[in-house]
Amino acid sequence: MAHSTADAAVAGHAHDHHDHAHDDHAHAAPSGFMRWLTTTNHKDIGTMYLWFSLTMFFVGGVLALGIRAELFKPGLQLWHPEFFNQLTTMHGLIMVFGAIMPAFVGFANWLVPLQIGAPDMAFARMNNWSFWLLPPAATLLVVSFFVPGGATAAGWTLYAPLTTQMGPGMDLAIFALHILGASSIMGSINIVVTILNMRAPGMTLMKMPMFVWTWLITAYLLIAVMPVLAGAITMTLTDRHFGTAFFNAAGGGDPVMFQHVFWFFGHPEVYIMILPAFGIVSHVIPAFARKPLFGYSSMVYATSSIAILSFIVWAHHMFVVGMPAAGVLFFMYATVLIAVPTGVKVFNWLATMWRGSMTFETPMLFAVGFLFVFTMGGFTGLICAIAPIDLQIQDTYYVVAHFHYVLVAGSLFAMFSGAYFWLPKWTGHMYDETLGKWHFWLSIIFFNVTFFPMHFLGLAGMPRRIPDYNIQFADFNMLATIGAFGFGLSQLVFLYTVLKCIRGGEKATAQVWEGAEGLEWTLSSPPPYHSFEVPPQVK
Amino acid sequence: MIARDKSQASLLQVFKAVLWSFLGIRRRAEHEADAIRLRLPQVVAVGIMCAALFVFTLIFVVHLVITRATT
Repeated sequence: MAHSTADAAVAGHAHDHHDHAHDDHAHAAPSGFMRWLTTTNHKDIGTMYLWFSLTMFFVGGVLALGIRAELFKPGLQLWHPEFFNQLTTMHGLIMVFGAIMPAFVGFANWLVPLQIGAPDMAFARMNNWSFWLLPPAATLLVVSFFVPGGATAAGWTLYAPLTTQMGPGMDLAIFALHILGASSIMGSINIVVTILNMRAPGMTLMKMPMFVWTWLITAYLLIAVMPVLAGAITMTLTDRHFGTAFFNAAGGGDPVMFQHVFWFFGHPEVYIMILPAFGIVSHVIPAFARKPLFGYSSMVYATSSIAILSFIVWAHHMFVVGMPAAGVLFFMYATVLIAVPTGVKVFNWLATMWRGSMTFETPMLFAVGFLFVFTMGGFTGLICAIAPIDLQIQDTYYVVAHFHYVLVAGSLFAMFSGAYFWLPKWTGHMYDETLGKWHFWLSIIFFNVTFFPMHFLGLAGMPRRIPDYNIQFADFNMLATIGAFGFGLSQLVFLYTVLKCIRGGEKATAQVWEGAEGLEWTLSSPPPYHSFEVPPQVK
Repeated sequence: MIARDKSQASLLQVFKAVLWSFLGIRRRAEHEADAIRLRLPQVVAVGIMCAALFVFTLIFVVHLVITRATT
């Protein structure tokens, strides 16, 4: 399948094959570990991406619990402050680059070919390489804790001059990010080429499922901004070892320039982490409301609009750093305007549910939970976007609360929603609905117990990234820590539910969900190893 | 594949479609008409122009606010 192209796919249409015809090839296919190492099958690679990201989610989660354990009480309890900074930095890096981004690529690998009626990804071998770059990168990140000086402690934003002062852990993080970036770029190219060239006959762009649309736009964003990050960290590397002074004021450089370059990557990155989530939710809500998605085309337009706007708002992360009043106003206005297309999406999801015959299975619970909690995160984002307010809350726990409402309740809840939605398709078994519901309710309650008090802490002035705090912050911190451990342990329910579903359970039908629409539901559950060798006709 | 339609969209129609997309909404009938008459290169070119126009509009508004505040 490595050389599949649209032409080949269409040519294959002439053969009188059935989808299952190639399932029982008598290839001497590798087994065991070699099967996974050498696979070029999009389903295998999607599965590996999902397991990898789940593993990193737990690694990053343990680091988060290390942070919260230290903050349970005022005073230094468990860690040295330097190690605490390593925990916050590595938690951020691992969750962003190791958990959320690969998880969405895993979803894309599984679903894009199935949803557009393609037999596989366009560049199947590159797909394998994209994945297998991840474990070495993750190893570099984790191993960096054990080198002299420990892991980088500059924050996930990697600001200079902190980054030029760190030990070798910083170099490992830079190399890890380079590798992860290369993997992301290759994955994105693969997704763009697959979507643009391998759609089944009749599937025009404006008939594509929303998840495919959101990933197409996300892939373009990734191709645009990952090289920018690579440039920034390469400059950091040469500043550290090769005598350059890009970010060193003493040598004529400018540390603020790093922040501009980083956030030119960093803000689109925020949308890279949320647009595929929008796509997932746009499948789940119509399926369980038993109505088509309200305003499909406006959803496509709004997604494109958000993507374009994401390039002109980066300096709202830097109001406190200092810039001319005209700059502050420009970035403030542009940021506030992003609320318009985002609002269009939220209203479309609400309108989809309006007068639908809704049921609340676990995927729908997570989708509705996403809508409720992500919208709160969006609103606190608007509050942060107002420059005079941002001067007060910059670098406080208010910002920590805001972006966790967006990334945990946004990206993560959408991924859980998608995982429960497609798990029966992937495994061929229904998951345990009772456990799924337990997972949802524990997650949403403990999520809010953890992060809602952080708004109050931030408004009261508690700075982020500190291992100790004044006594007046004690109660809310204790509450947040209890919530965090509850949230972390709740995720074991998810792990158990997934394992149980893989090992067996009620057989899933091809359709799985009564209201689900799309080509993937026309295939058996689980789908054949090689699906859509004969492209389906889309009307 | 959609057969090439001779009635290609005028520049004004492309601008209208792109500007509506900036807001994120579009009437169904017009969207369906767009799907037939718009060409991708047109949309990309006009989209880049509109994005630049959007940035300049913002800069103009900021300029107005700043000059009013300082006079």
